Amino acid sequence: MGVVMPLAEKRTSTAASLGRGDSTDLALFVRSSQDDITGWDRQRIVEALLRETLIDRDTAERISIEIEETISSGKVKTVTGPLIREMVNAKLLEMGLEEARRRHTRLGVPLYDVDQLLVQHNKENANVPHGPEATNLTLAEGIKKEYALLHVFSPEVADAHLSGDIHLHDLGFIDRPYCSGQSLEYIKKFGLNLPHALSMAAPAKHPEVLLAHMIKFAAALQSHFAGAIGWDAVNLFYAPYLEELDDRGVKQLAQMLIFEFSQQAVARGGQAIFSDINIYWEVPKHFEDVPAIGPGGKYTGKTYAEYEKQAQRFAWALFEVYKKGDAAGRPFFFPKPLVHITEKFFRTEGHMEFLEHICEVAAEKGNTYFVFDRGETAKISECCRLSFKLEASDFEDAKEPWRMRYSALQNVTINLPRLAYQAKGDDTRLFSLLTRKIELAVKAHEEKKKFIEKLMSLGESGPLSMLAMKLDGQTYLRLHRCSYLVGMVGLNELVKVHFGQELHESDEAMKLGLKVIAHMNIICHKLSEATGMKLVLEQTPAESTAYRFAKLDMTHYGDQAQEVVQGNPERGEIYYTNSTLYHVGARMNPIQRVEREGLFHPLIEAGSITHIWLGEARPDKKALAGFIINVFRHTQNDQMAFSPEFTSCLDCGRTSRGLQEECPYCHSAHVDGITRITGYFTKISSWNKGKLGELHERYRNDNQFAGAR
Amino acid sequence: MPGIKAVLETSFLDWRGRVCAVLFLGGCNFRCPFCHNHSLVLTPGEYETISVEAAARQLAPFRKWLGGICITGGEPTLDPDLAGMIRFLKDSGWPVKLDTNGSRPEVLAELLAAGLLDAVAMDVKAPLDPEKYSGCAGVPVDLGRIRESIRLLGESGIEHEFRMTVVPRYHTRDDIAAWAAALGPGPAKLTLQNFNPRTTLDPELGREKGFAAEVFESFRTLVEQAGKNARLA
Repeated sequence: MGVVMPLAEKRTSTAASLGRGDSTDLALFVRSSQDDITGWDRQRIVEALLRETLIDRDTAERISIEIEETISSGKVKTVTGPLIREMVNAKLLEMGLEEARRRHTRLGVPLYDVDQLLVQHNKENANVPHGPEATNLTLAEGIKKEYALLHVFSPEVADAHLSGDIHLHDLGFIDRPYCSGQSLEYIKKFGLNLPHALSMAAPAKHPEVLLAHMIKFAAALQSHFAGAIGWDAVNLFYAPYLEELDDRGVKQLAQMLIFEFSQQAVARGGQAIFSDINIYWEVPKHFEDVPAIGPGGKYTGKTYAEYEKQAQRFAWALFEVYKKGDAAGRPFFFPKPLVHITEKFFRTEGHMEFLEHICEVAAEKGNTYFVFDRGETAKISECCRLSFKLEASDFEDAKEPWRMRYSALQNVTINLPRLAYQAKGDDTRLFSLLTRKIELAVKAHEEKKKFIEKLMSLGESGPLSMLAMKLDGQTYLRLHRCSYLVGMVGLNELVKVHFGQELHESDEAMKLGLKVIAHMNIICHKLSEATGMKLVLEQTPAESTAYRFAKLDMTHYGDQAQEVVQGNPERGEIYYTNSTLYHVGARMNPIQRVEREGLFHPLIEAGSITHIWLGEARPDKKALAGFIINVFRHTQNDQMAFSPEFTSCLDCGRTSRGLQEECPYCHSAHVDGITRITGYFTKISSWNKGKLGELHERYRNDNQFAGAR
Repeated sequence: MPGIKAVLETSFLDWRGRVCAVLFLGGCNFRCPFCHNHSLVLTPGEYETISVEAAARQLAPFRKWLGGICITGGEPTLDPDLAGMIRFLKDSGWPVKLDTNGSRPEVLAELLAAGLLDAVAMDVKAPLDPEKYSGCAGVPVDLGRIRESIRLLGESGIEHEFRMTVVPRYHTRDDIAAWAAALGPGPAKLTLQNFNPRTTLDPELGREKGFAAEVFESFRTLVEQAGKNARLA
């Protein structure tokens, strides 16, 4: 990219001799951004202006001449392509040609920033390690983000993002959909057959090969999606491959699966693949009569209902691996296991033993996510909390499960506290502002949709060739089935500003919270009908958005914001409460938290979660199992997880329970904490300031006499 | 006058196999230097007393979620109203578990005889050696009374466990083995808890450390060798 070099002082004529159309007199070398050195050619400025903007040729000529004069006057000692572009842009602004300047602008990164970036750790996403691949990712994301804001989104949408009214997630991944859920059946049936791949693999004959295909496909998918890669009913779809394996073989396969996913730190930016596996103890009703695909991609002649025992063996083995943790006893960060608790679960033999087994994992390592599918709903879960309820057409697809591929194209989050600052206590104004922001989010979705459609229309020769492949007759990414997510951050603080109390402080405060989310739900439904897009609410994970909104509001709405932001402003560790969650520090018992947070869940169709922070405490598995049954029976809660905390010693490598200042084994103070950030486990040293503020305030259901932590 | 000083509405830790609520009673006849609830022991008067009726009202909304109520302290058996309190809870349909240091076997016997208890956890602070025991309890202890409580529980037929907080300053491996062996015939449930210096009654202990984790884990074998069912908390 534009590197500076000394100006070759070989001018053969003076500025005075320069004339119109004469651009070769200046024997000046320009270091271009194409990695070569070219001679000065004024016409290149003209060509660029005519190609990239809508200005007329005469104006372009005039600008090029004036630039040439400046350069030849000797004021500039070194000339680079980027410098010339900056000079032209300044000229365009001088002439009031702002739109032309916008189109002609250069996307890039200041030298100083690159210098910082190469050395310092970017903490926007705690799943991104620090290394050359990670900085590649950050640099590319930086440019794509600018591109998106300038070129994909309208100025109205871009400005709303920049000012912090809304947050457009994963702008650096503008050319990818947000997240996806898939079926193992796709690779079982078609093998690993990706467009432009160096080799093609026929459907797997052996379980280990199926696993290899799954991992590689997941890695390939990760480079086409911004967010999570989820897999439906993994234990069930593996089942036809397990009949030949003894228990040791099944355990070995489970171990391979988890280690392979958790150690694939070679995906995008050196990240692990953000992966979820959905697990069922029962055979889900919609798969009971589906013909099973087995080794070699062939039908086995049985239905999935007949594979219940094999599927259960694998599910059990997976959780044995989770219980043990990695070689240092740490919890596995990925893949995240989501266990579906359904009515049929409770009718399936061995469910109590399995429930206690996964509760033991929850108590010891925290991995287990409990997903509650009540009544006749079935769900597939992908991201931190993203799930899709299956509809009639999905049950039709379920007969050919490889069709079950889901995606959310984008997530746009609304800064709720800011609406309350602006409404100044007026209900009507609050709700009309909220409506307007949702409309803006929908506009953002339409703009991204148009952009992705353009890329997809290039088919298998375009950049999204993998998503455009048509092995089963339709494109892998089923655009017409995509969802568009509308998220929220800081409902708790909106309520505090508008009503004077936080959600946990009174029933009236909670009532206002429910009204706000119900309104968002209704507006999404109305706009879905109007636009033909499936707009659904999601609890935004808001790993960095909760911090970003709080920071921006402290700048722009300081007087009001300082009253409500959470965390520690002196240390800059400020945040808004995530989505519709209650304040993390509210002294409320876990029962109340799952019950009351669960009241929001039916309104948030793309999925929600309640976290119970355990800290050091090691609960009893039977107690947890009883609790889970009650959550299923007595609440509307969609999903929950228990989050313990760990200390990982950087000297002796051992893992202990709780966040300790020193390693209880070797007493070294060189330790890192491990716990869930928003929806996944990470090392605390990689957290951003806002989330650190939140960690300090977590209420861990401790006995009040045992001393504050 | 002690009484209920606090209510923890949910605990996953205080009753094996159940989610329970916990009532904390003020006052204690021991002064264990490693005590974590020492404000409840030393200055119970600083906390308002909550009537059992009020506590039951507070817990009523969670009835279907809770497997029972654990009564802890301080030392609950010092409270002259304990039997009445438990009777009230039992009459309201709550299973009740008692935590005790076993220093008042006559109270324990009365509660057991009246069928008021569903489970008991007894802290046995050290092997049954007068000097060691008194060192851990911070006061002279009549070991006959401790032995009597251990016997009562062994013969009670109800769910019970014995617990000990292990502290490097007070407990050797031999002590732990002797402790486990003394706890009645049969495979009693024993729980070991590692010393945590975070808040201690004796501030000097706050500067000491618990057992290194691997040493603590090795105690499990000691307990199992004594033929007991071990749990590390």
